[in-house]
Amino acid sequence: MTRSRYLSVVRKVGVILITLLGLLTMTFVIGRLMPIDPVLAVVGPDADSSTYEQVFREMGLDRPIWVQYQYYLQDMLSGDFGRAILTGYPVVSDILRVLPATIELASVAILFGVGLGVPLGVYAATHRGRLGDHLTRLITLFGYSTPVFWVGMVGLIIFYAWLNWAGAAGRIGFAFDGMFTQYTGFYLIDTLLSGNWEAFVSAVRHIALPALILGLNSVSFIGRMTRSFMLEQLSQEYIKTARVKGLSERSVIWKHAFKNILVQLLTIVALAYGGLLEGAVLIETVFAWPGFGQYLTDSLLMGDMNAVMASVLFIGLVFVFLNLLSDALYKLFDPRTR
Amino acid sequence: MNRLIRCVLGLAMIAMTLSAHANTPSDQLIIALKMSNILSLDPAAATGNDIAFVNANLYDTLIELDPEDPTHIQPAIASEWEIADDGMAITFTLRDDIRFHSGNALTAQDVVWSFERVLDLNLALATTWKALGFTQDNVSELLSVAGDYQVEIAFPRQLDPKLVLYTLATSPSAFILDRDLVLEHERDGDLGNQWLTTNAAGSGAFELDLWIPQDRIIMKSNDRYWGQVPQIQRVVMRNLKESQTMRLMIERGDIDVAIGMSVPDIRSLEDSDGVEIQTTQRGTLYYVATSMKNEILANEQVRRAIRGTINYEGINNSIMPYYGIFHQRPVKLGLPATLPEPDYALTTEQARELLAEAGYEDGFNTTIRALNESPFINVAINLQSSLERIGINAEILSGTGNQVYGAMRDRSFDIIVGRGGGGFAPHPDSNLRPLLLNPDNSDAARLTNFQGWRTGYQNRRINELITQAVSEADDEVQTALYEEVQSIYEEDIGALFPFSQMINTVAVREEVEGYLDDPAAMTRLRSVTKRLE
Amino acid sequence: MKNIQTLKNAPFPARERHAPGQSKGALFFKALKKLCKNPLSASGVVIVGLLLVLTIAAPMIATHDPLTQDLSRVLSAPSWAHWFGTDEYGRDIFSRVVYGSRVTLYIIFLVTIIVGPIGLMIGTMSGYFGGWVDSTFMRITDIFISFPSLVLALAFVAALGPGLEHAVIAIALTAWPPVARLARAETLTFRNADYVVAAQLQGASSFRILFHYISVMCLPSLIVRLTMNMATVILTAAALGFLGLGAQPPLPEWGAMISTGRSYMLESWWLVAFPGAAIMLVSLAFNLLGDGLRDLLDPRTD
Repeated sequence: MTRSRYLSVVRKVGVILITLLGLLTMTFVIGRLMPIDPVLAVVGPDADSSTYEQVFREMGLDRPIWVQYQYYLQDMLSGDFGRAILTGYPVVSDILRVLPATIELASVAILFGVGLGVPLGVYAATHRGRLGDHLTRLITLFGYSTPVFWVGMVGLIIFYAWLNWAGAAGRIGFAFDGMFTQYTGFYLIDTLLSGNWEAFVSAVRHIALPALILGLNSVSFIGRMTRSFMLEQLSQEYIKTARVKGLSERSVIWKHAFKNILVQLLTIVALAYGGLLEGAVLIETVFAWPGFGQYLTDSLLMGDMNAVMASVLFIGLVFVFLNLLSDALYKLFDPRTR
Repeated sequence: MNRLIRCVLGLAMIAMTLSAHANTPSDQLIIALKMSNILSLDPAAATGNDIAFVNANLYDTLIELDPEDPTHIQPAIASEWEIADDGMAITFTLRDDIRFHSGNALTAQDVVWSFERVLDLNLALATTWKALGFTQDNVSELLSVAGDYQVEIAFPRQLDPKLVLYTLATSPSAFILDRDLVLEHERDGDLGNQWLTTNAAGSGAFELDLWIPQDRIIMKSNDRYWGQVPQIQRVVMRNLKESQTMRLMIERGDIDVAIGMSVPDIRSLEDSDGVEIQTTQRGTLYYVATSMKNEILANEQVRRAIRGTINYEGINNSIMPYYGIFHQRPVKLGLPATLPEPDYALTTEQARELLAEAGYEDGFNTTIRALNESPFINVAINLQSSLERIGINAEILSGTGNQVYGAMRDRSFDIIVGRGGGGFAPHPDSNLRPLLLNPDNSDAARLTNFQGWRTGYQNRRINELITQAVSEADDEVQTALYEEVQSIYEEDIGALFPFSQMINTVAVREEVEGYLDDPAAMTRLRSVTKRLE
Repeated sequence: MKNIQTLKNAPFPARERHAPGQSKGALFFKALKKLCKNPLSASGVVIVGLLLVLTIAAPMIATHDPLTQDLSRVLSAPSWAHWFGTDEYGRDIFSRVVYGSRVTLYIIFLVTIIVGPIGLMIGTMSGYFGGWVDSTFMRITDIFISFPSLVLALAFVAALGPGLEHAVIAIALTAWPPVARLARAETLTFRNADYVVAAQLQGASSFRILFHYISVMCLPSLIVRLTMNMATVILTAAALGFLGLGAQPPLPEWGAMISTGRSYMLESWWLVAFPGAAIMLVSLAFNLLGDGLRDLLDPRTD
C-alpha cells in the first residue's frame, strides 16, 4: 500500500469515527430533551413521591448533565445500552429480536422494488419520449408521492376486508404462533424448514401486502435510476456499433447495455434498502408488524430513553454502513476505479 | 409491459388460491389487546388493568371476589379466614395442596414474604398498602406465620376489615409468589424484581410459556392446578393496537377475544352474528379536573361556570357509550353510600353569567390536556367547543399518558380530561382516597399519588371524614360519613368533576363460553371453554 | 454521504448560466412557458396554482366552518350538503380539506424559509472558506444525513413535544443538509470566478463577498432544489400528523385527519379517502413540477 493510499484510509476512518461520535452526541441530546418523564413510565401515574425519588436516583437522573453524558459515552462504547423500560430486556437484545421481522419485510419489499423497478426503467429508457416513457414517469412519481400509511390502510380494506387475499395483522396467523421452530427468525424460511406448509402459506399471506406497499417507493427510485443509467449507456458508441453489427434489439439492451449498469444498480439497491427501513416505521404501524419500526415508534411515544437512543443510533449506523457498502461495491466492481 | 401485467395478475391469482381459511383451534384461546401498558409482570411494580388481567391467570390470590357479585368474597388460596374479635386482625387458613408451577409447595412463608416484598421494593403498588397504614418498617411485625398453612395479618390501626379483604382480593399486588424460585433469581438485592419483569413465579391456572414484550404472551394450562384444570390448553395474547384490525379479525374468527376496541367498531360488531359484546362496570371515573394552582380556576365561580359548561348528556350519549356511563359523584355507582346524581347539566347562559360575576366576562385563555386516544381526546375537543361558547379559549395539548399525567403530577396543568380514582374494591374509600384526600397541600409534600394533591384541592373536613370512615366498622355510621363527604364536595365545587364511570367493553366470539370480564380487571380464564363448530 | 433524499432528484450538475442582461421576470416566464410544454409538468404547475388559490380563498371556497361541530349529523356520507361527507363530530370534510391546504402550505413555507437561509449560509461558508470551516460543517452535515429523515424528525418531535411548530422545526432540521451540500457545490464553482476575484482585490470583506456575490449566484439552483423538497416535506408532515405528533386537534391537517378518521374507516371511507387523496395530489404536483424543473435545467437528460 502506498503512503498516500494509507493516509486516505486513515482519513476515511477518522471521518467515520467523527460521524459516529456525532451520532452518539445527537442521540444523547434527543434523549435528554424529551419532555417525557422516564421515571413516570416506570412507576406509573399512581405511585407516591418516595417511590418516584427512589427510581429517579436508580436511573442516574440526579447527576449533572455532563456526568450523565460521560457515563453515556462509556456505556455506549462498552456496548452497554441499558434496559428498555418498555420490555424490561436489554435494548440490544430487543433490537436483535425485532430486527429479523423488519429485515424479512424489507427484503421482500426490495425484491418487489427490483423486480418491478428495473423492467420499468429499462422499458422507459428504450421507449424514450413516447407514451410509455411518460406513463412510467407518472407511475414512478406517484410512487414518490403516496403517503404509505394511507395506501396501507386502503390496501387492508380492499385485500383483507373485501377480498380476503391478505392477512390482517402481524407476521403470521395468531394460531400459528410458536407452532414452528425459529431457526432463522425469518418466518418464510422457518415455516418451510419446519415443514409446516399451512404456516408458510399464512406467512406469505401476511407479508405480501405490506411488502408490496413498502416497496412502492423503491420501485420508483430504482425505476428512475435504471432509466437514467440505461439512457447513458444507450447513447454510447459501443451500442451503436452493436446495432450496426446487426445484433437483435433485445440482445443489445440486455446483453450489452444492461450488463454495464449492473454495478451502478447494485449501489442504488443498497441505498434503497436503507430507505425501506425508514418506510418500515409507518408500514409496521399500520400492519401491526412487530419489527424495528414499531419498536422505535413505541419507545418514542413511551419516552423510553434507552430504547430510543439505541434505536436511533442503530439506524444511523445502518445508514453509515449502507453508504460505505455502496461505495465499496462501486469501487470493487467498477472497471474505471479498479 | 405486457409481461409485467401478466406477472402482477399471476401474483394475484396465487394470493386468491391462498385465501382458504379456518377458525382458531378449539383448544386455543386467542386474545387481542393493546400491550403498550404491559411493561413489567412483577406484581410489585405492575400497574394497569392489562397486567392485572395477565397476572390473575398466572398467579393466585388469598381470596377472590365473585365476578357476578363483587361484594361476595370467595375462598382461593385461603380456604377460610377469621376476623379477630377486636377487629384488628384477620387470620387466614391456607389450602395445603397447592403447588407452584416450579413444583414448590405454597406455604404461609410464601404469603408473608410476597406481601413484605411489595413494601420492601417500594415500587408502584406499594402505595395501596401504605394507604392502609402498612409500611416497610411495620410490615414484618404485622404479618406473621401462624403455622405452615396459617397467616395472620394484624392491622396497623383501626381499619374496616372489609376494606382489607377487598384489597387482598383486588389489588394487583396481592398475588402470592414462589419465594424460593424468585430468590434464586435475585440480583443485587432486588428481590427478583428484574427477573420477574419478564418471568412469572406463580401457582395460577396458567403457566407463562413465552413472553415477547410488546408482541405476545403465550400461556399454557397448569395441569396441577388446585382448582378446576382449564380446558383451554393454550392462551395466546397478541399485541394489536388497531381497533379496526381487531374488528376485522374477530369478525372473521382469526381471534376469539378483542379488548380495547373503539366505539365505532364495537357498534358495528353489535349487529354481527358470531360476536358477543360484554360490558362490565369498573370503579374508575372519567373526570374533568381543574387546577387550583391556576389563579383563575381557583375562583369558585369560574369552577362553577366550568362545571356547567360540560355537556354531560351529549358526551355520555355520543362519545362515552362502551367507555362509560353517566355518573357525576366521586363515589362509584351501586354502593350504599353513593348519593343520587346531582344532575349537573350544560347551562351555557348561566355559565356565562357566572363567569361575568367572577370578573371574566371576556373569557380567558387556558389549556386542556388529554390522552391522544378515545374517549379522552374526543371529550377534550367537545369541552373545548363548549368552553368557546362562554368565551374561554382553550388550547388542547394531547399526548401520551406520561405527558398528560406527568403534567398533573407536577401540578403544571390547567384543565385535564382524565380517568382515575382506583375503585377496584367495592368500597367508597377506594374512590375517595385517590380522588379527594389531600393531607398536605404544600408543593413540597409531593403527594403525587393523590389527585386531590395534584389538583391542589383541599378540604380539611373531607380529609377527616375519609380517615374516620376507614376505621369505622359500623356500616350505617360509615355510610353516613361517606354521604357527608359527597355533599361537602358538591357545595365546595371541588376541582375535579366526574362525568362518567368507566365500563369495560370486550368482544367475544360466540364459540367461546365462560369468559366473564371481572369488575376489578382480574378476569380469570380458567373456566373458559370453546364450543366445537 | 448520500441517501435517497439527496439522490432522488439528482443528478443536478453544472449548467449554463443565463446571460447577465436578461431581466429575471422575462426569464421566469420563459421558463414557465417551456415547463408547460410537457403535459406532465404543466399539470404540476396547474395543481400547485390551484393549491395557492385554495389557500388564499379558503373562506370563500369552503362551504362550512371547518371547526364547527354538529353532533346531530356525524359521519354522514358525501351528499349535496356535504360534498365530502362529515366526520365524527359532524364537521364538513370538504371545508376541512380546503382549510387543510393552509396548514400544509404553512408548513412548506416555514420549512422553506428556515431551511433556505441556513443551508445557504452553511453551504456557502463551507465552500468559500474551505479548510477547517469546510470540514467542520461537512462533518455536521454528514451526521444529520446519516439518519433517515423521518426517523430524525420523529425523534426531534418526540423530544420537543407534539405540535405544528415543533413538527416544522423537526422537518427543517432534517431538510437543511442537502441544501447546504448544493450551496457548497455551487460556491466551489464560483469561488474563483472573475468578479469574485475582482471584489477580493478591491478589498471587499469575506462576508460582503459571501452575501453580495456568492449567495446571489447560488439562489436560482437553490430555489429549484427547495421546490423539489416540498413533496418530501408534505409527506413527512403528514406522517407526523398520522402518528399524532404533528398538528394538534382541531386543526384540519390532512395527516391528522387520516389518523383520527382511521377508526371510522370501514363504514365511512370518506373520512380518510379525501385527505389522503389531497396529500397524494399535492405531493404529486410538487414532484411533477420539480421533475420538470430539473429537466429544464439539466442538459444531460435532454
